[in-house]
Amino acid sequence: MPKLPPALARFFPLPRAVRAVLVLLLIYIFLIGVSSLEGGIKVMGKETQESLFSNVDHPLAGLFVGILGTVLVQSSSASTSVIVGLVASGALGVDAAVPMIMGANIGTTVTNTLVSLGHVRQSHEFRRAFAAATVHDFFNVMAVAILLPLELATNVLSDSAEWISGKMVGSAGTEWESPIKKWVKEPVNWLKDFLGNFTDNPTVLGTSMVIIGLVVVLSSLIFITKNMKTLIAERLERSMNAVLGRGGGFVAILIGMLVTVAVQSSSITTSILIPMSAAGVITLRNAYPVTLGANVGTTITALLAALAASRPEALTVGLVHTLFNVTAILLLFVIPIFRPVPIMLAEKLADVAVYKRMYAVGYVVGTFIVLPLVGVAIFR
Amino acid sequence: MVFSFFKKPDSALDHIAHTTISMLGDARHSFDLASTVILSGADPKAIGADIEATDERINKAEQDLRSELVVHVAVQGGGDIGLVLGYTLLLKKIERIGDQAKNIFDLAADGVSLSNDDDIDEFVARRQEISQMYVEAADLLASHDDEKAKDFLARSLALNDICGAKVLEYMHTEQPGSWAVPRAVLYRYWKRIVANLAGIVTSAIEPVQNIDYLDDGATDITDD
Repeated sequence: MPKLPPALARFFPLPRAVRAVLVLLLIYIFLIGVSSLEGGIKVMGKETQESLFSNVDHPLAGLFVGILGTVLVQSSSASTSVIVGLVASGALGVDAAVPMIMGANIGTTVTNTLVSLGHVRQSHEFRRAFAAATVHDFFNVMAVAILLPLELATNVLSDSAEWISGKMVGSAGTEWESPIKKWVKEPVNWLKDFLGNFTDNPTVLGTSMVIIGLVVVLSSLIFITKNMKTLIAERLERSMNAVLGRGGGFVAILIGMLVTVAVQSSSITTSILIPMSAAGVITLRNAYPVTLGANVGTTITALLAALAASRPEALTVGLVHTLFNVTAILLLFVIPIFRPVPIMLAEKLADVAVYKRMYAVGYVVGTFIVLPLVGVAIFR
Repeated sequence: MVFSFFKKPDSALDHIAHTTISMLGDARHSFDLASTVILSGADPKAIGADIEATDERINKAEQDLRSELVVHVAVQGGGDIGLVLGYTLLLKKIERIGDQAKNIFDLAADGVSLSNDDDIDEFVARRQEISQMYVEAADLLASHDDEKAKDFLARSLALNDICGAKVLEYMHTEQPGSWAVPRAVLYRYWKRIVANLAGIVTSAIEPVQNIDYLDDGATDITDD
């Protein structure tokens, strides 16, 4: 979509109703993308599927792939939707997908941490901005450190999610007649037939469908987020002012969740907090619960993607994402002894980062690129 | 508070504009009270609390609006940056004229009263003229009427000159200091208030880089 210069955009704003219809259309296109991804993997055949995903059998490899994939696309909504698509195709099991989903949760925090680096020249601003960004990192890393071993030992998250999805759409191993699946099936079949005119090779055909699916998922999410941000900008602004006026706590969690559900991107919500924190208008303690709400809100996209899938396991994975983030809040925010820990760690790290700016860069590169790469190399 | 998310949205800048205008109303209230005390000989203790509360309200509104401006930029990006910078300057001016009203009140609290003096009518007329300028400035913030704003700026510059001339006149008078100094100080405060009111109107119609400066860019019209 060509971008109008700000002055022109003010004179020719897209009417709200048109923008709302556009968002619905984009959601439909997004679901076609997820379905194309699922269809493409299916077309590749069992052998190719197994060779593709055998590297992520180890949960830690899955976790690090989740981090890297999300850092690459800068959106956990996109990466979790892709994971849902892979699970829907049957190529990836729920057990392998759960660590990836957790990794996506960590990976998505890179965006606001990068935004905070923009304040690096002003020590006071940078300390506040970096702490506000990394409190999200610490919370998510702590959540994974507690819940991944627990999940591996007990399957508590996946079993709970499977129970819920069983009640909603049927048990694992069956196919359910998703009404949305019917709407998106035809365009995916057209795509498959069109690409089939150029090749009979299932791997080439499948790969083409996967690539097109990925491009469609990523670009539609970008445009959904942009349009929704424009649509709800005034509400978003008022909600942030409400957080400033009344402080943090559970209301801030709810606001963070609502805003993120609306814009379909936790990065938007958390990145808005960074300049506010840098300027000192919102305290770290008040910004922290907003980021937790954003964690929960962003899971809506994977649930939405699961609507286009024909296997209940896809919904199970989407629900694992939601349950993981809700459980993390119950453990690390509701229990008073844990609540200040991410804040304290973020403040300490911010002090170190201000003392030596290169440590901040080292932290970002190390945590979000080097460590996951080494992890994948070791555990694949 | 969560339900505010679902309420019909209105422009955040509109809210900021409305609050700014009500701040100006508060500043006028302080000015009228403080000037009335000094010109009528009323007991300063009777209205001290009101002046104090109004000043706190102005200061709190300024702080809240500054936060809202940061939120606006964080959410909406840099599209309104000129307006936002203009508002920060404007808010500071309103806060200053609130403080200057308090300075006038402090004169009265220190025992100055012009109520029984021969030149009281001149002071009362001047007070009314300045008080009316608050109303005009608030209207201009809402209407952005260029012609009226230019007229306002011309009158405020003229009044500024008059106030400056009065200060000089009292500095060189043969009258005793106890007569001349309160008058010079009062005119000095009024001059500062008029200059800040002019600055407020300028910020409504001029690009941010021109605010506080005359056309040639050489002279600072803010007198603080």
